[in-house]
Amino acid sequence: RTLAITPRACRRQCPSLKRDTGRKQKLVVNRKHKRGFPLACHSWDELRVLKSVEPLSGSRNGFGMDAWVRFNAQSQSKDKLFRAAQYACMLLGYTLHKSKAASDLLKTLSDLEKHLSLTRKFLRLGNSVEALEAAKRAIHLSDGVLRLCLTISHLNKAMYFACDNVVWAGKTGIFSKVDQQKWSQRSFRYYLFALLVSLTRDIYEICLLMDNEARNQSAKASVSVNSSHDPPADCLSSLATSSRPPLMWSWLLRNFRQVVTVLQNNPPLLLDLLKNSCDIFIPLDRLGIYPTGPGFVGACGVASSVLAILAVTHPWLKLKP
Amino acid sequence: MDTVIKLTSQSQGRDRIFRATQYACALTVYLLRKNSEKRDLVDKLKSLEKNMSAGRKLFRLGNAVNSIEAAKRSVQLSDRVLCLCLTAANVNRALYFICDNLVWASSVGLLRNIDRDRWNLNASRCYFYSLTMNLIRDVYVILQLMLQRRKDARFKQKIEHHLNESSEAAEVIIPQLDAFVFVLLETLRSHPTVALDTVKNICDLFIPLDKLGIYKSNAGVVGFCGFISSLIGIATLAQPSLRIKP
Repeated sequence: RTLAITPRACRRQCPSLKRDTGRKQKLVVNRKHKRGFPLACHSWDELRVLKSVEPLSGSRNGFGMDAWVRFNAQSQSKDKLFRAAQYACMLLGYTLHKSKAASDLLKTLSDLEKHLSLTRKFLRLGNSVEALEAAKRAIHLSDGVLRLCLTISHLNKAMYFACDNVVWAGKTGIFSKVDQQKWSQRSFRYYLFALLVSLTRDIYEICLLMDNEARNQSAKASVSVNSSHDPPADCLSSLATSSRPPLMWSWLLRNFRQVVTVLQNNPPLLLDLLKNSCDIFIPLDRLGIYPTGPGFVGACGVASSVLAILAVTHPWLKLKP
Repeated sequence: MDTVIKLTSQSQGRDRIFRATQYACALTVYLLRKNSEKRDLVDKLKSLEKNMSAGRKLFRLGNAVNSIEAAKRSVQLSDRVLCLCLTAANVNRALYFICDNLVWASSVGLLRNIDRDRWNLNASRCYFYSLTMNLIRDVYVILQLMLQRRKDARFKQKIEHHLNESSEAAEVIIPQLDAFVFVLLETLRSHPTVALDTVKNICDLFIPLDKLGIYKSNAGVVGFCGFISSLIGIATLAQPSLRIKP
């Protein structure tokens, strides 16, 4: 709701409202709408004052419709919603199959899933160009590793979309001579590689943040006498010296708590990491590298789609760049 | 390239591009129908058109809410005629989307007991009413603009000049009609937004007229009109200044 009251007027109306003494202001009103006045709310009186103020625009339901209209306006967000529906059908079909449900319900779910999959391929028809443009933008980044990771990831996504378009053309009969299996495998290979590069970027960001944390801690402890001891483990240098994976894993486990702290303080990074980890099981299953079955793939697909939708509805959760 | 990206990132832009392609396919199929050599191409285009139509139905799933929001906004307009026309148009459009969603649900198999043909006809009817209300609004806006123009002194001079200079030609039979047409053309020329919207609505009108059987034209006319209206829609999306307001 948009409030028709300024913080000063609200404080005047409610005497128990304390002046903001430098404490963190929290948004009392719904964080999603644009004109929320940050207020430090300390009592039910204040809440009553806020709630009694008449909203400037829209009814109680108006917010929900407005949010949907904004969500609907972007084609990517709608695509993510359909993706969630598609993998939910897959998951539902698997669970119902396990519990031996009616065969016509299973057939409906399977048909719906195929229809959603084919239509999503159709709706993705222009995405190669967008991915190429994103790759062009990523070339201008300052950080070398990020530049490399993002450019390669976007290029691979562009190739994935191109192969996907060929598969769609084959399925709808436009190019009848297309070997659908071969092109489908090709597209999943590019998708897998794009996800691997994205995961590498996430791990690199985690390492950078852990490095910063370690530096902060060592700066705080610099007055102590024991500062001549070895400095806290430097993520990047140890990665450089220890090229064997087992050493890196044991190092990561040792610093597990640090990783958890870093992720807790950086929700966008956590979201991106979880999303990529869920997504990676899909091409792994389709390519036969690590077959997990339709139930697990469906669950992973639903989870990653929901996380992606969260990143769209809450733009602060999107990992930048 | 930037404009293309901006268009494709919006779901409306993407839908209009697909609509333009769908009607272009329909037009091409009609033009090539007698050509026996291109039968393969005709079959492929038919299949593409069918797939595009089905895909667009899925893509339209949430659009009823958009129309209801637009109707809510148009209720608050000050001009009564505009308020009535736009609200009726948006409400009918919302009903069209709801009928369309039911047809999609039936074609996918989610709802089995509904009569798909009847709901298709209902959808076409709602779309027809919505287009009619939009056209009435266009005519009202044009008439208002024309009346405004006539009061303009400079414009009166222009009319006089036009009538006097063409009185030698044999075409001027009814001076009032000629003046009317002149004012109309001048108004449309100086207000491209209204002109584009009128052309778009007239082109769009042929589609439900054909489906409902009120004015049966052939598939070629429908394809051509749909293609033109989609192009105008893309142009108004790419250039927001060409869009009629409100």
